[in-house]
Amino acid sequence: MDTNDFDQKLVDKIKHDNITPRPRWHFLLKDYVVRVTGALALLVGSAAVSVMIYLFKYNDWEIQEETHKTLLEFFLLTLPYFWLILLALFIFLLYYNLKHTKRGYRYPVWFIASAAFLVSVILGGVFYLAGLGEKIDTVLGEKAPLYEKVINRHFDFWFNPAEGRLIGIVLSKDDGQAFVLLDPSGSEWQVISKDEHFPLEELRVKQPINLIGQVIGDNEFQAEVVHPVRPGGGFWLRPRPRMMKTCQTDSCPLPPPPGFPAPR
Amino acid sequence: MVNPGDFSQAKDEELVRLTLDNRDNFLYLVDRYKGKLLSYIKRLTNVNDDDAEDILQDVFIKVYLNLNDFNDGLKFSSWIYRIAHNQVISNHRKLKARPEGYLSSIDDQAAQNLMADTDIVAGADLGLLRQNISKILNQLDYKYREVLVLKFLEEKNYQEISDIIKKPPGTVASTINKAKEEFRQEMVRQKIILSVS
Repeated sequence: MDTNDFDQKLVDKIKHDNITPRPRWHFLLKDYVVRVTGALALLVGSAAVSVMIYLFKYNDWEIQEETHKTLLEFFLLTLPYFWLILLALFIFLLYYNLKHTKRGYRYPVWFIASAAFLVSVILGGVFYLAGLGEKIDTVLGEKAPLYEKVINRHFDFWFNPAEGRLIGIVLSKDDGQAFVLLDPSGSEWQVISKDEHFPLEELRVKQPINLIGQVIGDNEFQAEVVHPVRPGGGFWLRPRPRMMKTCQTDSCPLPPPPGFPAPR
Repeated sequence: MVNPGDFSQAKDEELVRLTLDNRDNFLYLVDRYKGKLLSYIKRLTNVNDDDAEDILQDVFIKVYLNLNDFNDGLKFSSWIYRIAHNQVISNHRKLKARPEGYLSSIDDQAAQNLMADTDIVAGADLGLLRQNISKILNQLDYKYREVLVLKFLEEKNYQEISDIIKKPPGTVASTINKAKEEFRQEMVRQKIILSVS
């Protein structure tokens, strides 16, 4: 290599193309974006963990024998898949950002992935204890489309009167063993409770509950098991577009519950 | 050519600062690293002299552009080698068209470093090995060639190699072990040793 020639060509190129060093703020901004994105991924992942802990705690464990053949079946069918997928996505995003920090490449993949997972879980636990898990679930229940179909599929599972499962909020109760329940479609049910383990005095108006039993008449249900529900509380704050009596006589924009024909 | 001046003895980090103050001081850094980087580029790529100098020019342009990204957390030599490493990868199309028989020369010291590793040379005909090091390296996958070149020919330690190719030190160590094994397998194929022990 002719060293003088090389130096001259390099200098000429720098001058001709007017090349100047990129300013320091350019690199600081890149670092900042990586860190902030990583921090956001950590927060969202941890929020997902806090909701999962909340859903896991109030997962109808007490009555799983009544609704599922085995504990394994119950566990697999009630896993919060939406939140698990969300957590996986954001742990990956956190891992990606950690790997792209100035020193991130020095640590093996398993170390960074494990660290991302552990920190998300620990912070998620802290968020749960602070009540964030329930708060997020309540807000999503109230506002998120497809909440009962995708985010909290317990609603879909429990809203099946033909199979002896009903979910709703208590609208009113009488002095005996009966009360009125409002289901997710806005229909009202007359419910007679035969559950000795859950006295009706403990029921509160507007309390969400699950019922196991059978349909005994037109929007009449006999409940063998009455079980309070906690997740999905926000769902019941949504405006109810139809009331039962209106739908019986007029055309109804919403479909009836599963197993029930459309009103004539 | 840069005339020796006060700054020719300055540390790399000082030269970076001086370059940011005055563009003309960049040639001190160029003068210090162009020889090493040119032989590094040739060892990795086996392109001809003109192509190697083109790549080297691109490397120094990138170095100049990104001077404000250098900080004391990394050795400057590792930082500049990293830029050269990345530039070689991004010039991949040039690298694929390797002219037949164009091999970079391996100087005696570099050959000695490779041959001093007993894992590699056990059972080898050392005379044949010295003549064929370049040819053997050429046959290896790029990921093995790059670590062998950095370790034995550029004499970088594991931490420096980790900083240059941006992989964890543990991964560097295991890649070097695999590279040595591949090197020995290639020696068998080229009949420099009879079998892999």
